[in-house]
Amino acid sequence: MSGKLSVIKQLIGLLTLALIVALAGCGGAPSAQAPASPPSATTARAPAPAPAGQAPPASIKIGVIYPLSGPQAQTGNDMKAAIELALAIINQDMGDLPFALAPGTGLPNLGGAPIEVIFGDSQARADIGQSEAERLLNQGVVALYGAYNSAVTKTASSVAERAGIPFVNGASSSPDLTERGYRWFFRTSPTDLDFSRVMFAFLKDFQERQGVTLNGVALFYEDTDFGVNSATAQKRFAEEYGVPVLGEVKYRSGSAALTGEIQQLKSFNADVLLPSSYVNDAILTVKTARELGFAPQLIIAQNAGYLDNAFLETTGADAEGILSRAAYAADITQAKDLAARIDQMYQQSHDRPLTDAPARAFTGFMALAEAINRAGSTDPEAIRAALAATDIPADQLIMPWQGIKFDEKGQNSLGQAILVQRQNGAYVTVYPFEFASSEVRFPGVAWANR
Amino acid sequence: MLDRRLPAPLTLTALAVVIGILVTTPLLINNNVFHHTLILIGIYAALAQAWNILGGFAGQISLGNAIFFGIGAYTSSLLLVRAQLSPWLGALAGMALAMVLALLIGYPVFRLAGHYLAIATIALAEIALVVFQNLEFVGGAAGISLPITRDMQGRPTDSWWMLQFNSSKLPYVYLALGVLGVVQVVATLLDRSWIGFFLRAIKNDQTAAAAIGVPVARYKLIALLISSACTALIGTFYAQYLLFVDPETVFGLSLSVLIALVAILGGAGSLWGPFLGAVVLIPLAEATRSQLGGRGTAFDLVIYGLLIMVIAVFQPAGLTGLPERFRPRQRTSVAPAAPADTQMEESLRS
Repeated sequence: MSGKLSVIKQLIGLLTLALIVALAGCGGAPSAQAPASPPSATTARAPAPAPAGQAPPASIKIGVIYPLSGPQAQTGNDMKAAIELALAIINQDMGDLPFALAPGTGLPNLGGAPIEVIFGDSQARADIGQSEAERLLNQGVVALYGAYNSAVTKTASSVAERAGIPFVNGASSSPDLTERGYRWFFRTSPTDLDFSRVMFAFLKDFQERQGVTLNGVALFYEDTDFGVNSATAQKRFAEEYGVPVLGEVKYRSGSAALTGEIQQLKSFNADVLLPSSYVNDAILTVKTARELGFAPQLIIAQNAGYLDNAFLETTGADAEGILSRAAYAADITQAKDLAARIDQMYQQSHDRPLTDAPARAFTGFMALAEAINRAGSTDPEAIRAALAATDIPADQLIMPWQGIKFDEKGQNSLGQAILVQRQNGAYVTVYPFEFASSEVRFPGVAWANR
Repeated sequence: MLDRRLPAPLTLTALAVVIGILVTTPLLINNNVFHHTLILIGIYAALAQAWNILGGFAGQISLGNAIFFGIGAYTSSLLLVRAQLSPWLGALAGMALAMVLALLIGYPVFRLAGHYLAIATIALAEIALVVFQNLEFVGGAAGISLPITRDMQGRPTDSWWMLQFNSSKLPYVYLALGVLGVVQVVATLLDRSWIGFFLRAIKNDQTAAAAIGVPVARYKLIALLISSACTALIGTFYAQYLLFVDPETVFGLSLSVLIALVAILGGAGSLWGPFLGAVVLIPLAEATRSQLGGRGTAFDLVIYGLLIMVIAVFQPAGLTGLPERFRPRQRTSVAPAAPADTQMEESLRS
């Protein structure tokens, strides 16, 4: 008896549960869809714009997402330091620097309000990028900035797009990012397409100039968004420039050993190796290649790990002669006085030289701050309009670019890539030849001679 | 074979209170981070409960459940991007595909037991990861970005048909809780039915279960089929929320481990363990990261790991066993919060 009763009671309980959940689901729907429903996300999330005549906001908050822990923590913290330097320049009176916001304190068009940055740690994971973007928006940021890893930038920027808040990206190179039809996404950095094109333009020019013949390239790339997109672009330009691809190896990002992969690369016998790796893999690649006596005549890396401070410190002389595409190089300080001064300030506060990713982080952030100031308001639409109208000349940049100007997709159309080569312990610009501070050393890599 | 335990009025009241809180608080606290955390709790509690059906009830530990999650996420996303098919239909396709896959891998894998089964499931998920990273057809390592639904003016809009909500998170919150409710009901019905008894018999001693006439292989497969279908359904929902699918996010070992961790910390084998585990673990991860993550010292992960260790050391039976610690040692016949194993022993004894 009691047994049957209990079953009936339980069934009633479960049905009630199901009913309540179902009702809740339906109940939630109309309020979300009804146009007159109280706080729709856009209005709830957007900080109230400061109407003319009212007191300006005490501070302008910007949310910045970087991989501050996990395998890319060092790069993330280097970029964090670059953002902190940009903040110091904006918020303090540094009138002797040529940036628009250097003179005076804070943002002049917003009553001198200082910029305040809230950092979020993505752990280099796409799902956490979404969580952090939600949290930062909740803390009242007027714009989001980040996030280095292309996959994290994708999820974090879709949060911004849904909420109607500008998202500026300084250092993700996946071409997909500006192909999604997003209205609120802006990128100052060149993409993998620009970066990969420069490698093949170089190979063509270099062979003509030196009168040498290179038999072709081998691709070596990690298996996440960055590596795969890089390889896709490289294959496209190899075909366009008529350079044979003699083989390709995709490896697991963060592998403990790359011996088998390097053996395979060696068997292709290509004169040129094009690796796309983050820092730990880059270090392992160079060590393994040296151990196995794999020495292609030229190694042209797709930035990332190969320009990282940790890579330079760990590999030392083994990295001599390696080329990499870059958006920034230390010897730009020779050509650009502004870059030299920023590099010096960065080293004073962070104790490390300014490398490519932090330099791009700095540049993109300055562009965002400049746009917010020009908007003269914290209204998202005003900031978006100001971003779209951005026109920063080359002499206000530490990068070797012609300026910053966004096309209709939000991509900076004036960005430009360079090639650098490691010579005597430092990366020097070698291509385009008109910007080069040194001749290309060729053959670049010869472990046996050291 | 029907369960003879009395549902204590206390349990039903507690259930009503929990549901009441879950349904009303999202309306009262209109905060995106709160809503986001609730969505994650719903997703992980449901995933852990789906794992629990196989890993908790039947004791077949899987560290590769992400494979079904990924199948669900990818199937609906691909159908949406390539054929503009509604994720509702995509979810059904994903569930069907996951069940077919479960059938294919269940037969060979269930010849293994214990650690070997766990290792085999890790390997299967890793294979899926590598395959998806290398298949250009499914977007490769770059993954798939789901388009945002927009109105004529290009503003993001809500669409029930396309299962995407951009103006408010409330529909996502209730959908997540709804999915959790469905999985919870499925698990409860299983738990109360003969299938639950067979599964627990298999967990306690497979040979003995076979000896008394339990069709071991068939019931393990049934548990896997139900678990995989639930997991795939959650995968579709998650893809619609994140608007992005890539192999690392949906097939990664860290996801498989987190699913098992939530269930085991909460109390594997018990009906409310997975929910309790998610309610504790997910806000803990979010809170430590939001408070400490931005400093760049990874201190949040240290604290998170430390708290998991504390629970594992002092409460190895899971959080659902906590009331037992503060109860007199004497056994009572009505023990709604007792771990399922003890209940099982008791019901077998009586």
